[in-house]
Amino acid sequence: MTDRDANERLLRLNAALDGELDAMGSLAFERELRDDPAIAAQYQRLSKLRDAVRRHAPREAAPHALADRIAAMTASAPAAPSPQPAAAPSATVVPFRRRTWLDSRAMAMAASLGVLGFAVGAGLTSLRTPAGSPDVAQHLVSDFARAEIAGQPFDVASSDRHTVKPWLANRTTVSGTIVDLAPEGFPLVGGRVTIVDRVPTPTLVYRHNEHVVAVTELPVDAKGVRGGTGGIETIDGYHVARWSDANLVYVAVSDMDEKALGEFVEAFRHGGGPATEPTRP
Amino acid sequence: MSSPIAEQRFREIVPPLLDDAYSLAKWLSRNPTDAEDIVQDAAIRALQALSTVSVDRPKPWFLAIVRNAAMTFMARNRRKTMAYIGDLTDLDTVDLPQGEEAAPNPEQELIALEDGERLRQAIAGLPSPFLETLVMRDINGLSYREIAEATETPVGTVMSRLARARAMLAKTLRAEA
Repeated sequence: MTDRDANERLLRLNAALDGELDAMGSLAFERELRDDPAIAAQYQRLSKLRDAVRRHAPREAAPHALADRIAAMTASAPAAPSPQPAAAPSATVVPFRRRTWLDSRAMAMAASLGVLGFAVGAGLTSLRTPAGSPDVAQHLVSDFARAEIAGQPFDVASSDRHTVKPWLANRTTVSGTIVDLAPEGFPLVGGRVTIVDRVPTPTLVYRHNEHVVAVTELPVDAKGVRGGTGGIETIDGYHVARWSDANLVYVAVSDMDEKALGEFVEAFRHGGGPATEPTRP
Repeated sequence: MSSPIAEQRFREIVPPLLDDAYSLAKWLSRNPTDAEDIVQDAAIRALQALSTVSVDRPKPWFLAIVRNAAMTFMARNRRKTMAYIGDLTDLDTVDLPQGEEAAPNPEQELIALEDGERLRQAIAGLPSPFLETLVMRDINGLSYREIAEATETPVGTVMSRLARARAMLAKTLRAEA
């Protein structure tokens, strides 16, 4: 028997085992099984292996917490912000996985109201960018400046990407990237929703010493968006870097100097260090 | 920020597939905590996609998203264990292992099959393309055509990967017996 025949035979054995042979193929295979003990023995072994895999590596049930979070994604309106500013001072260290999704969101809200004293009830840090803007960076710089002046760089205050990510995911149409850059000296401090061309868009806020860098993540096909390779430009005195991957364009606006922003971009693009996980359940 | 119709489709499609999604993500990431992150990422992507697409075959569709989310996650978090680096076609052109079938030790192999932990380790040790094919077939119960759809791979490649995955498993179990 040539290698090719042996190959074909093995493929046919597997296909028979998986019920993938058509009627004529099954008929021929049954004859082979009957007439050739070697094939029959091989088929037996293969079938025992397959059964063992199914027995010892069964499908597992998803954890309840995960199912809860998935269910919450399409639950009705988001929880209203807590009116009591003093609530839950320890919210930002509550491990996300221990809580249901709505819980953690409410906690994050409470944190931004209470601990950090931000008036979330006043609304998102939305910037009503004119439609069809020629370039988005200019608007993001204005957004950045406004947020800085208002002293409210983020709507959700948390250094835990597991809190920030679902918060943003529920309010925007972009499934963004959140990397942990604390080991590189750029801790995550929160996130906000920025309106770009009438589309709510996630912005991540990182801190570096006394400076802030805001990374807005846009779909590559968004209006007025163009990609880049991480080069730094200056707009209205702020440094702006943009880069892209297959799905998203990233625009980082910062009051850091050019060198520090360059380091930040480098770290972000390389995915940061191993992500810090909250306490595991 | 999703449309009511997308949310409706999402509720019909995703929750019944969560166990499959979680199991696949856990095998691909080899880590239960990462698996939760991956499934959550995949669910977010699915909800967004459902605003614009309707889905004929939910299972391969959602598992394809889970698989892609796993690849993104592993790359982004610098998990080295899942190496999807470079062109894997060379792996597929290597001849299927021959010969071992001719001189097996059936008893040893049967004993090995009863050792669940060893079997699971042998599965986890498979190179990713073979691992995902085996998991989608024997754990998720996808047909060859559905696996081809979920992995964007020709059916012929799915068949040879599956045959090879099983041959590798048998070989590992025999070698360690």
